[in-house]
Amino acid sequence: MVDEGSKPKKREGTTLWLLKIIGGLLIILLLGIHFVINHLVAPGGLLTYQDVINYYRTPIVPVMEIFFLVFVVSHSLIGLRSILLDLNPSDYLLKIIDRILVIVGSGASIYGALLIIFLANKGA
Amino acid sequence: MHNQPAPIHFWRWFDPRSHKPGTWAFILNRITALGLTLYLAMHLVALSQLAMGPAAYDNFIQLAKTPVIKLGELLVISAGMIHGLNGIRIALTSFGIGVRIQKQLFAGLMVLVLAGILIFAFSMFGGA
Repeated sequence: MVDEGSKPKKREGTTLWLLKIIGGLLIILLLGIHFVINHLVAPGGLLTYQDVINYYRTPIVPVMEIFFLVFVVSHSLIGLRSILLDLNPSDYLLKIIDRILVIVGSGASIYGALLIIFLANKGA
Repeated sequence: MHNQPAPIHFWRWFDPRSHKPGTWAFILNRITALGLTLYLAMHLVALSQLAMGPAAYDNFIQLAKTPVIKLGELLVISAGMIHGLNGIRIALTSFGIGVRIQKQLFAGLMVLVLAGILIFAFSMFGGA
């Protein structure tokens, strides 16, 4: 059984590949916590607005959620790049793709972090 | 078919014939990755309702409890379990652990996924 995911691609680089693998493992851990609190503990499987505000009152929660967000966004965009590499883009196109992914990733992380900080301040 | 498809053979991902376990693992990983990335984007946009106050968010939560959305959530949970557990196998084999038992590992993890999907489906729809 050969699996291409088990080694870096030619233009992926060991650092990005390692980030993807280690990030993936950390996400499983953080997703477990995120999922249990947000969907299993909450009545009906979803938190109300007040529940969310109360949840973010615990100081460790915003920090954990921001880490989770950054790991998820990075892992998904590095993974998306890896899939796009299968389509053998030219070096020029890959540069454009990289720039778009960095902009999208930074934008999503900043937006999500600001939302988390906003919620944490609401509960303070 | 090779695990790394040429662009013109992309459609073969969706052809269930003559796939070896490694190819299935590869295809499942890619399809769930794309689905989860799309979901992540939608999730971030949907959570902007939180910034609009309690009424907007709680109305959105009521919508999220409808059967169609719940079915979508079950799909996301299934994709997450497939991608996560298959990802653990990839991480292990990347570091040289369990390389010789990859097929068995993949099969065992997919059985766990199936059990997980059934548990979540029962928990989400069983009491309804």
